[in-house]
Amino acid sequence: MARTTLRLLAALGVAAAALAVAAGPAWAAGETIGGCVIEQVHYVEAEYGSLDALDKKALEKFEDDLEGCVEAPSPILPELDEIIWGGLAFVILFAFMWWKGFPAVKRAMDARSEKIRADLDAADTAKADAMRTKSEYEAQLADAKTAAAAIIDEARVQADQLRQDLQARAETDIAEQRSRAAADIESSRRQAIDDLRGEVAAIAVGAAERVVGASLDADVHRSLIDGYIDDVAGAGTNGTNGNGG
Amino acid sequence: MRILALEFPPVSHLFDWPTIWFDGTPLAVNKTVLIYLAATAATMVLFGLAGRTRESLVPVGVQHVAESGVNFIENSVVMQTIGPDGKRFMPFLTSMFFFILFSNITEVIPFIQFPANSRMAIPITLALLVWVIYNVVGVKSQGVFGYLKNSLFPPGVPKVLYVIVTPIELVSTFVVRPFSLAIRLWANMVAGHLLLVTFAILTATLWDFFYVPAALPFLMLIAMTAFEILVSVLQAFIFTILTAVYIGGSMHPEH
Repeated sequence: MARTTLRLLAALGVAAAALAVAAGPAWAAGETIGGCVIEQVHYVEAEYGSLDALDKKALEKFEDDLEGCVEAPSPILPELDEIIWGGLAFVILFAFMWWKGFPAVKRAMDARSEKIRADLDAADTAKADAMRTKSEYEAQLADAKTAAAAIIDEARVQADQLRQDLQARAETDIAEQRSRAAADIESSRRQAIDDLRGEVAAIAVGAAERVVGASLDADVHRSLIDGYIDDVAGAGTNGTNGNGG
Repeated sequence: MRILALEFPPVSHLFDWPTIWFDGTPLAVNKTVLIYLAATAATMVLFGLAGRTRESLVPVGVQHVAESGVNFIENSVVMQTIGPDGKRFMPFLTSMFFFILFSNITEVIPFIQFPANSRMAIPITLALLVWVIYNVVGVKSQGVFGYLKNSLFPPGVPKVLYVIVTPIELVSTFVVRPFSLAIRLWANMVAGHLLLVTFAILTATLWDFFYVPAALPFLMLIAMTAFEILVSVLQAFIFTILTAVYIGGSMHPEH
């Protein structure tokens, strides 16, 4: 604001100074009446030597010239020389403007308008392209999200399936191991019974031999003992089954 | 002449400049002629440079001035008065506007300080040229009888009023128009020049006696100088837009 005011004041000062310096020519146009009279007198004196040397015809012309100094030309009547020069100047100007000046400027303006229009069109096209690309990206993103969801679902299904398979297999393995363990237990039990039977038989035979001496045949004693043990075992098994039943 | 102790030059001597070259011939050159030639040269230089300036997105300098002028003539004159048909008159109207403007604006240019259009030569020449143009355009657009009929018997006027209207239109359209156009421009520039001279003389005379009172007419001189810049532009615009109005009326009588 202050800068603008300073500039305005400076411009005003320059204009005022220019006016003050150059105001003179504003009213210095044309010649004054006195100057005109003096000029006519000088002219006559130069031509005739003095005013007294004028003859009647020259005197009449001198008087007309002096009256011409006093007569003010009509300000509204145009001067022929000014019409000719002014008209010629305008014709030249119009010819130049019609031929070159106006079309050149107009062409530059039209070119600028065309460039701006083309730039705006290009901007619109670029914007449309960007929007289309954005839509494509958004569509691709949506597809990717859908695909990811599908993959996740499939993985989840597969994981469930795998879990169920593993669980089933584990259960099968457990069952197999359990049955195998049961078989092993049964086998061990039978083996233990057999081993026990042999040792008990040996112990019983030994004990019987000690009791009855050597009267008894070993093979007979063994069959007797085996029969006894089987009875005992059968009674044990029946008793167990009976408890379990 | 002496008025209230002020020495005023005769009014005619403010406008009638002595011959510089070719005295006594129809091609005599004086200050007025030099201003006409300078106005032509200035307009040609302006548009010549503007046309040569490299194309830029934002016009600057002479290009900006020329393009603003063309835009102004096109949008504020031609499109408002004639319409799109009037664009073929753009070179003529643009030439006229800048020629009158530059011939007027010399009124406030230091050391020139004389509006060339305060002489009648160019105002009357241009006004008669405009008269010829709008009549030719009217005849070409409407035919001789159509143009005369529409000019002298304006449509929409009650027939009984033609007794009054037709003579008025005859005088107004075919006689008065060129002179009113010329005199409006001439008289405004004469009045402006007289105002500036009056305040300049008043300032100079008072300055010889008392310094302080001279400030008042000097301030008025500055104010009137600014006002005359406005008048110079305004009169160029008025002359141009009236020309466009006359041409538009001849082309489109219905308007």
